[in-house]
Amino acid sequence: MSSLLDALVTGLVYGGVYALLALGLTLQYGVARILNLAYGDFLIAAAVFATLLYQRYQVSPLVSLALVAPLSFLVHLLVYHLVFVQLERRSGSWRAMEASSILLAFGLSFVVSGAMLAVFGGKLFSYSYLLVPVRILGSVVPANRLLAFVLALVFGGLAYLLLVRTRIGTAIRAIAVDPDGAPLAGIDVRRWAGLTFAFGRVICAAGGVLISMFQTFNVPMGVAFTLKALVVVIMGGAGNAVGALLAGLILGVTESFVARYVSPGLTLAAVYALFVLAVLTMRTGILGKALR
Amino acid sequence: MLEIRELTVHYGLHEALHGVSLEVAPGEIVVVLGANGAGKSTLLKATMGMVRPTHGHVLLDGLDLTSLIRRRLTHQVVEQGLVLVPERGGTFTDLTVQENLTLGAFPRRARARERELLAFALELFPRLKERLHQRVGTMSGGEQRMVAVARALLSAPRFLLLDEPTLGLAPVLAKQLLRVLPKIAAEGIGVLLVEQNAHLSLSVAQRGAVLSNGHLVHAASATELRDDPMVRAAYLGSD
Repeated sequence: MSSLLDALVTGLVYGGVYALLALGLTLQYGVARILNLAYGDFLIAAAVFATLLYQRYQVSPLVSLALVAPLSFLVHLLVYHLVFVQLERRSGSWRAMEASSILLAFGLSFVVSGAMLAVFGGKLFSYSYLLVPVRILGSVVPANRLLAFVLALVFGGLAYLLLVRTRIGTAIRAIAVDPDGAPLAGIDVRRWAGLTFAFGRVICAAGGVLISMFQTFNVPMGVAFTLKALVVVIMGGAGNAVGALLAGLILGVTESFVARYVSPGLTLAAVYALFVLAVLTMRTGILGKALR
Repeated sequence: MLEIRELTVHYGLHEALHGVSLEVAPGEIVVVLGANGAGKSTLLKATMGMVRPTHGHVLLDGLDLTSLIRRRLTHQVVEQGLVLVPERGGTFTDLTVQENLTLGAFPRRARARERELLAFALELFPRLKERLHQRVGTMSGGEQRMVAVARALLSAPRFLLLDEPTLGLAPVLAKQLLRVLPKIAAEGIGVLLVEQNAHLSLSVAQRGAVLSNGHLVHAASATELRDDPMVRAAYLGSD
């Protein structure tokens, strides 16, 4: 009984972080029309950054979070305008860019992970932060995981409120559903798509720092994170924030149960299985609705 | 004053609009009549910078918007006070009425007068008041046109451009919708309307023009156009 509960709580903690990751990816895809296959590699970059700061200078990952967020925002605003906007100009249209941006992001993934591999190799990163046991629902959870879970939900919740409750968030959703009609409402699509792309990256970097707090990782794992975020986006329905939360939790719990009761080596296989199932059975995600 | 001067548009080698000039004064309703493919939509889209004109200028109260239009910066044209309700469009169908109206006031110039304009739009279309939380995509065609016009008004336009607003509407609804235009014009907003429904649109407009194969062939007062045998034959049927 207690091991069942352990698996559930662990699964929910991972699931909360996956949901956050998916929210960033779905924003980038839905609004900027860029399917960002380099997502997991930038996530690892943020995780490595937090780990090194902690190991060398004893900087708390919460401080790293505050540093990495504005940094990745600025960097990716530049990446959007210097790389993707140029690509859009060459593609001739917003829609043609969607296809070429996948290849560009795929290439970017190799550049980022390749650069990190050259410096760090396949070495495993981990650090002990807040490694104190907390009892919750009769199960023992390390405080770092709990903190990561809570922060993931807080960030995800804030991003959601921003999208649903503010005029700018509404404009961003309008771009997602009708990029051609948005300029008639006075919305500068390129400007807001760029800012949303950068904002998606802030979420990605925050997810990286949160993951570094409780999980051992190495550079080649970036692809797995991209894949997991993609699975959650597709299961939850592209552009659907609440769907992403549900799908993230489902993915986390599935992984945790497979690891505990089947084999830890099969967790990624379980992710693939869920992915195939989602693609085959659902057209619009578990909630069957677009971003609302 | 909205001044369209010698506007020419090419789609590839095809000339869709040939040197069209037109003026609309504040508070005036002007209708451009024409058959399908005459260049009516192109005229409005080029004025908004949604398609790039090959020649010509657009001036808004003396301010030359041509460079914005040639760079297709439609959102900045809206920011200057021109707004278009496109054919069958002009709403975000996945969003609610309320969200659509909020986005109408997205341009900075519209923010200060948002409350006042919202009250005005809901007074024109009281039906929207009960539907604020409904998704626009689930509403009837006539209601969607109301949302589109209301959204356009929220952007505090100096000139409102309408592309066949009555298309696909039942006659009663079409009449209801066009009856609203004089009230909008009474607020000092100039209205440029393109329509196939000549009878109805000439009854609300002060002036009209006929567009044929991309050429502006005839411009006169609405009364004159109504009595013109050519217009009667082409657009008003036999009655």
